[in-house]
Amino acid sequence: MSRVFNWQIGREMAYWYPESRPRKQFAAVFDINKCIACQTCTLACKTTWTSGKGQEYMLWNNVESKPFGFFPLRWDLKLLEMLGAQRWEGRVYAGQTLFEAAPAGERVLGWRPQDEDYAYPNVGEDDCAGGVEGGTSLRVPHLSWFFYLPRICNHCTYPACLASCPRGSIYKRPEDGIVLLDQSRCRGYRECVKACPYKKVFFNPMTGTSEKCIACFPKIETGLVPQCFANCIGKIRLAGFVSTPENARPENPVDYLVHVRKIALPLFPQFGLEPNVYYIPPVHAPKRFLEQMFGPGAGAAVAAYLKAPDDPDLAGLLGLFGSTERLIPRWKRQGETVFGLEEGGGEILRVPLREPVHVRMALDSKLGVARTNCP
Amino acid sequence: MKPFRLVLWMSLTVLLAACGQGPQTSPAEVTALSAGTLPLDPADVAWRKVPVHPARLIPQDLVEPRLLRPTTAEVRVRALARGGEMAFLLEWDDPTADDLPGAARFSDACAVQMPVQTSADLPAPQMGETSRAVSITYWRASWQAEADGRGDTIRDLYPNASVDHYPFEAAPLAGDEAARREAALRYAPARALGNAMEGGRSTPVQDLLAEGPGTLTPAPVQESRGKGIRTKTGWAVVLVRKLPEGPPVGGRFQAAFAVWQGSEQEVGSRKMRTGWIPVNLEKAS
Repeated sequence: MSRVFNWQIGREMAYWYPESRPRKQFAAVFDINKCIACQTCTLACKTTWTSGKGQEYMLWNNVESKPFGFFPLRWDLKLLEMLGAQRWEGRVYAGQTLFEAAPAGERVLGWRPQDEDYAYPNVGEDDCAGGVEGGTSLRVPHLSWFFYLPRICNHCTYPACLASCPRGSIYKRPEDGIVLLDQSRCRGYRECVKACPYKKVFFNPMTGTSEKCIACFPKIETGLVPQCFANCIGKIRLAGFVSTPENARPENPVDYLVHVRKIALPLFPQFGLEPNVYYIPPVHAPKRFLEQMFGPGAGAAVAAYLKAPDDPDLAGLLGLFGSTERLIPRWKRQGETVFGLEEGGGEILRVPLREPVHVRMALDSKLGVARTNCP
Repeated sequence: MKPFRLVLWMSLTVLLAACGQGPQTSPAEVTALSAGTLPLDPADVAWRKVPVHPARLIPQDLVEPRLLRPTTAEVRVRALARGGEMAFLLEWDDPTADDLPGAARFSDACAVQMPVQTSADLPAPQMGETSRAVSITYWRASWQAEADGRGDTIRDLYPNASVDHYPFEAAPLAGDEAARREAALRYAPARALGNAMEGGRSTPVQDLLAEGPGTLTPAPVQESRGKGIRTKTGWAVVLVRKLPEGPPVGGRFQAAFAVWQGSEQEVGSRKMRTGWIPVNLEKAS
């Protein structure tokens, strides 16, 4: 084991290999508040990559409801129970990571799902945490709540799948940090399936190898966002590259949200993998639940997000989400206009800070008809 | 008792004892008998006269991921030799037949390892070492099932699987087998790269080379043969492979053996193994 620094848990930790960060790190920001679980992302991925024999059950991208949705079944609860108490001291994680908690003979603390665990991708969908009592009024956070959690591979800085593979079949690309599984080298041991806490490596029984999200790297290489981003009708996703905190650049959209404003947070940072999909937490869920899922910054992130309407920079950048299929390396706001820019400064697109609002009266007096605002 | 009756009783006793006797045991090493042909069938009568070496298995607990709990106690080894080839018959007890791949289903398997080059100074028995390669012949129960005719569809693995549609079976490709195959390979990158770890295998064995743990790689030439069958108590597998390069040292080759029990989640380095065991090539009498 080596000692590496994990900025998400604010300390050094044990990892199977020495620290070796890529030149650029692929990253994403998902705004959970805008996700409606339409599963268009899921289908976009499915039709692009996993329509083959042996891939029937695979969802490299899935959207599950929280708190009662899981794919595979209880993926997070099971590991949280195995890991035991997870204690933060301020922004420093004082508990054990999955690497530090590895039992004898193992490289990572993990578990391997059974066939049955993959059989219910929609379990818990739209199930509320608790019932609604009579006389209850709506306020934030909601007394009864659920939210949608879209998930892909986190292309972690310290991938557990990579650490666990005894054959070195999994590698992290130095040019963009995308984690790939070498299909010519894999022998289907499924150590990676067991080790990945997010359960985003899947075994293909028809090829005998394990497979995973590739971040649509052929698109990334040509400056385009992955399929699940491009097809997101809720425009909840932003793809880009994240820096380490000390190298954060405010003009980088991902850096701005993750490091400058700190409203986009990693999923279960206490696992220790430094995952690179960052979530804007849902404003209506309880703070304690969000802190367990996204770390100690969840409360402040929600507070900042709630103020976005009065925060032109933040609101402007959120407006760039899903606005183009091209990657946006830089951004800026000038007055009421937000620009997506190339690395060299060339304009990719511009969007208005505020979309024009038209209020349509229910009664159309001109035509003499009443309209309803149907969903 | 009259002398005639005494001789009769003694003869009967000896005969009965001979009938009840198992094959001869070779406790210290594998004794390989010379043979005119090398039988591929584990049930071939030629194996009956070959001495059995009961090889004690130990858990692979040197490199992570390790096997910490012993499972299969021993593998019974017999060997026949002809020219530059040797046939091994491996038998071990395994109450469950595991030959279906699945998310958490692992296949029963076994392997014979020999140094690529004979030498008085043997490479590490744990998969060899750098510049001192070992050659491994590996058999897998799921490959045997495929070689024996199991189909190559998801319903052959999951009989109740429901499949809506595969793009490579779309109507526009009907009748164009080459186009369908090409389209199917787009969704099966391992197969496209020739890494047939499951599916459509015609042989249940694979030749591999290794220079230490984690370095296992398919040999450039795939020439070993094999066949496994279920027995009343487990598996019997014949592996026919070439001998190491160079003459035997002290009249003996060296081999190591490994067994995986799928039901115990054994795979890769989680296995029961032996150290090097001498293989004494006995000339035909």
